Amino acid sequence: MLPVAGEPAAGDSWGMLACLCTVLWQLPAVPALNRTGDPGPGPSIQKTYDLTRYLEHQLRSLAGTYLNYLGPPFNEPDFNPPRLGVETLPKATVNLEVWRSLNDKLRLTQNYEAYSHLLCYLRGLNRQAATAELRRSLAHFCTSLQGLLGSIAGVMAALGYPLPQPLPGTEPTWAPGPAHSDFLQKMDDFWLLKELQTWLWRSAKDFNRLKKKMQPPATAVTLHLEARGF
Amino acid sequence: MFTLQTWIVQALFIFLTTESIGELIVPCAHIHPESSVVQLGSNFTAVCVLKEKCMNDYHVTANEIFWKTGRVTVPYEQYAVINRTASSVTFPNITLINALLTCNIRMFGQINRSVYGIRIISGLPPEKPKNLSCIVNEGKKMMCQWDPGRETHLETNYTLKSEWATEKFDDCKAKRDTPTSCTVDYPPVYFVNIEVWVEAENALGKVASDHINFDPIDKVKLNPPHILSVNSSKELSSILKLTWTDSRFKSFITLKYDIQYRTKDASTWNQVPPEDTSSTRSSFTVQDLKPFTEYVFRIRCMKEDGKGYWSDWSEEASGITYEDRPSKAPSFWYKIEPSHAHGTRSVQLKWKTLPPFEANGKILDYEVTLTKWKSHSQNYTVKDTKLTVNLTNDRYVATLTARNLVGKSDASVLTIPAWDFQATHPVTSLKAFPKDNVLWVEWTAPDESVNRYILEWCVLSDKSPCIPEWQQEDGTVHRTYLRAPSKGPTVRTKKVGKNEAVLEWDHLPIDAQNGFIRNYTIFYRTVIGNEIAVNVDSSHTEYTLSSLTSDTLYMVRMAAYTDEGGKDGPEFTFTTPKFAQGEIEAIVVPVCLAFLLTTLLGVLFCFNKRDLIKKHIWPNVPDPSKSHIAQWSPHTPPRHFNSKDQMYPDGNFTDVSVVEIEANDKKPFPDDLKSLDLFKKEKVNTEGHSSGIGGSSCMSSSRPSISSSDENESAQNTSSTVQYSTVVHSGYRHQVPSVQVFSRSESTQPLLDSEERPEDLQLVDNVDGSDGILPRQRYFKQNCSQHETSPDISHFERSQQVSSVNEEDFVRLKQQQISDHISQPYGSGKMKMFQEVPAVDAFGPGIEGQVERFETVGMEAAVDEGMPKSYLPQTVRRGGYMPQ
Repeated sequence: MLPVAGEPAAGDSWGMLACLCTVLWQLPAVPALNRTGDPGPGPSIQKTYDLTRYLEHQLRSLAGTYLNYLGPPFNEPDFNPPRLGVETLPKATVNLEVWRSLNDKLRLTQNYEAYSHLLCYLRGLNRQAATAELRRSLAHFCTSLQGLLGSIAGVMAALGYPLPQPLPGTEPTWAPGPAHSDFLQKMDDFWLLKELQTWLWRSAKDFNRLKKKMQPPATAVTLHLEARGF
Repeated sequence: MFTLQTWIVQALFIFLTTESIGELIVPCAHIHPESSVVQLGSNFTAVCVLKEKCMNDYHVTANEIFWKTGRVTVPYEQYAVINRTASSVTFPNITLINALLTCNIRMFGQINRSVYGIRIISGLPPEKPKNLSCIVNEGKKMMCQWDPGRETHLETNYTLKSEWATEKFDDCKAKRDTPTSCTVDYPPVYFVNIEVWVEAENALGKVASDHINFDPIDKVKLNPPHILSVNSSKELSSILKLTWTDSRFKSFITLKYDIQYRTKDASTWNQVPPEDTSSTRSSFTVQDLKPFTEYVFRIRCMKEDGKGYWSDWSEEASGITYEDRPSKAPSFWYKIEPSHAHGTRSVQLKWKTLPPFEANGKILDYEVTLTKWKSHSQNYTVKDTKLTVNLTNDRYVATLTARNLVGKSDASVLTIPAWDFQATHPVTSLKAFPKDNVLWVEWTAPDESVNRYILEWCVLSDKSPCIPEWQQEDGTVHRTYLRAPSKGPTVRTKKVGKNEAVLEWDHLPIDAQNGFIRNYTIFYRTVIGNEIAVNVDSSHTEYTLSSLTSDTLYMVRMAAYTDEGGKDGPEFTFTTPKFAQGEIEAIVVPVCLAFLLTTLLGVLFCFNKRDLIKKHIWPNVPDPSKSHIAQWSPHTPPRHFNSKDQMYPDGNFTDVSVVEIEANDKKPFPDDLKSLDLFKKEKVNTEGHSSGIGGSSCMSSSRPSISSSDENESAQNTSSTVQYSTVVHSGYRHQVPSVQVFSRSESTQPLLDSEERPEDLQLVDNVDGSDGILPRQRYFKQNCSQHETSPDISHFERSQQVSSVNEEDFVRLKQQQISDHISQPYGSGKMKMFQEVPAVDAFGPGIEGQVERFETVGMEAAVDEGMPKSYLPQTVRRGGYMPQ
């Protein structure tokens, strides 16, 4: 016991100190300040953003291999055919204003639906691939895409959005069209890969936007400036 | 007797104890439980239940049951008879066991029989696997490992399970030999969290580890960077720039690096501060390095946030910093040598080489400036470490700078006093004493301020003269120790190659070092060449001299240098060999092979081009028909004969015949009689040609020895007496018969002999008459010596045959035989050839071809011998040639 303990004033100050200590001790338990608890959607958005970039990187080498497999003119760098007969593919390109005005839920839903469709088509592509090596790469990419879908679903769940339910009649199915000529079939494959690439680019932007939105306001200025970059 | 009985009973028992119903064998009892895996330390009870039928058959009850583990009977204390049919056994606190537990009965009081058995194995259920961790090596699949806990003594399966929130992956079953790790089948998907756990299962239980949830990108071990280059900078001698290539992961994750470096000879690594390399980059400049020093670098990388694993270290790469100007002036001193000339003195200026850490590069030369008091200065550029100049007796100031590629050192200044200068404040109380294995020198400083001290000493020895050594000390010290190594290392060769030699030496003993050895210098030279010096770091004891000349005598010596100076070791000589190891073999073997190949090719070529070669090497035999003799001859031979003679230059055929003589001389004649007849017919058809052949072939010489007789006999006689060959030319049908005997030019003696011995004639007759297809060898053989082997054919018969076939025919026959025997396959061609011959030039290729064909069968040797010996001129000389 300290010699001053007997004095009432000193006792009060000790009590206050103890109180302060307790408050400080309890601070980490306050949910608003607890950074170690539920991290919120931030990290999963970041991860999804990373995943889109990783997949985009992966797709680049896969597409190269696959287009070579399709042969000329599909593997020529400046080959840019008109988008014909691929209306079923979800389109990634969208008016910039429209894109900006999308709310988070719609943005995520569009992403989720697009990748559900693309994944289904990609599996069809895998079934018809001729070489084992290509099938392996495609299978791995499908798995990764499956991961992306799960990741988007996770973000949506974290933000409290329901997953879009596929309409019973519009369940995308991949069927090798018998009416298609070989060239048109290859054209479809080409467009599938191209659309996938575009979607991955778009998703990277989508999730970058989301990521910045979820960050603390202290970095809002940066966010704004970068957002203008789009 | 008793044992026999027992055996019989037992055998009987085997049939009795198992009741056979068809193929099904019903055991006499059962043990419960059937399951046999028992946990270590637990109690285990087994119950054996006998069947009623057995009990009745063998008159046994549960009381007769006893248990065995393996061959050991379990003590009766552990048994418990439950009822009339069942008995149990209990093993308390079971130990490690793997044995057969059998239920046995004793029948008739003496026969023991096993009626049922189970295998009991003891072990432990698996423990919960701990410390599950996974790693993803870049470019490979994910591998997880865990601590399986205690030994179970049982076959335990470990299964690694992994799943996403939305999807399950295939199980990964650990292999028997690596039960603590498993590599999954699928390639990793980064940036998606995966949940992984491991399940252990054996007969006693199943347990799962804690689940771990992670993103595979956080478990990545990247491939090490690859150092592309280490570059020095001309501007800054203290830096080296390192560039590298990274793993492809850098395009989607941020990396951090760990760079380490050391000097080439050091063993410990210096670390580049991690905060300087905490983001993705592909080059880094390392600073604060020593000039002109070789540094070795290595680098590794990992994910910037520290999650995952460091990559392995890259391969080491080294680079040398750029040179800097020498950082210190060399120690500088002089020595005055007496000079003969009056008024001048010879001064030897001497200085010490800078140690590498002060030279900061390769010292190119030294600049010495001598300035006479208040006068102009003289400059000298010297590569050596000494300079002798003639100075007047005046006072001089000498300065010395060392120069390398980058610049000059500071100048050492030395005053050379005038000859009459007297030091006024000499150093006093100089004393030397050994301490700590070095020789210390101590002195009392003079009162005046001192720039620097120079110590001079030499080794007093009976063996060597006093060679003064010196060292320089600052003006502030008053004690020091002598620092030059007292001797140089002894160098020797470890291996001497054609163009290189590996030198090795031992470290100098401490006593001889007199300081820290900074470096060694190896001096080597040929007898005539310049001396080359190589500096070697003090940590080495071996050095490889390269680019040596082969087969040369080299002289090597080595000096060890401390900061203060160096000392040479003894000189060593060695001679480089003329050829490197295996070089001779390397030269000889291909040369031999090439020679062999060339020879083979040559032979092949000759074989293929034999026509051509033949044409060039074999001289053409002049056409006898065109000779003067031929023109003389009243009997101009008919077309065929003419051609024959030309066709077959005598020598060739002679020799053909000669060679063949030895071949098969023992053939009985009669066998060939029939074929002779056949042959005769053929001869008639081919008369012209064959006779020609015969004529030449049978004759070793073209020299005809004309026997005047028209008779066959005489002709034969003559021909037979000529040892080598005989040709009988006789008139054919309307032609005037004439006999020409050709004999080898030098073999006059046999000719005489044969003339003296007419009996030889028979042999010839023999041949003529009955030889038929018989090889000509026989004919010749007979001619030569083997009269006795001639068959028993009457003279009459022979002569008849001879007369029926005129001489020319005979000759033709001979020829035919020869050609048939020698070159059966060519037969038809030959015929044709003969017919064509007259049309073409007699010495044309056709003939040569024909002759050659014979040769190819194997007569060249004889041809060579025979040809020069049997030649036309001789014939001419004899003057009797009748070219019929």
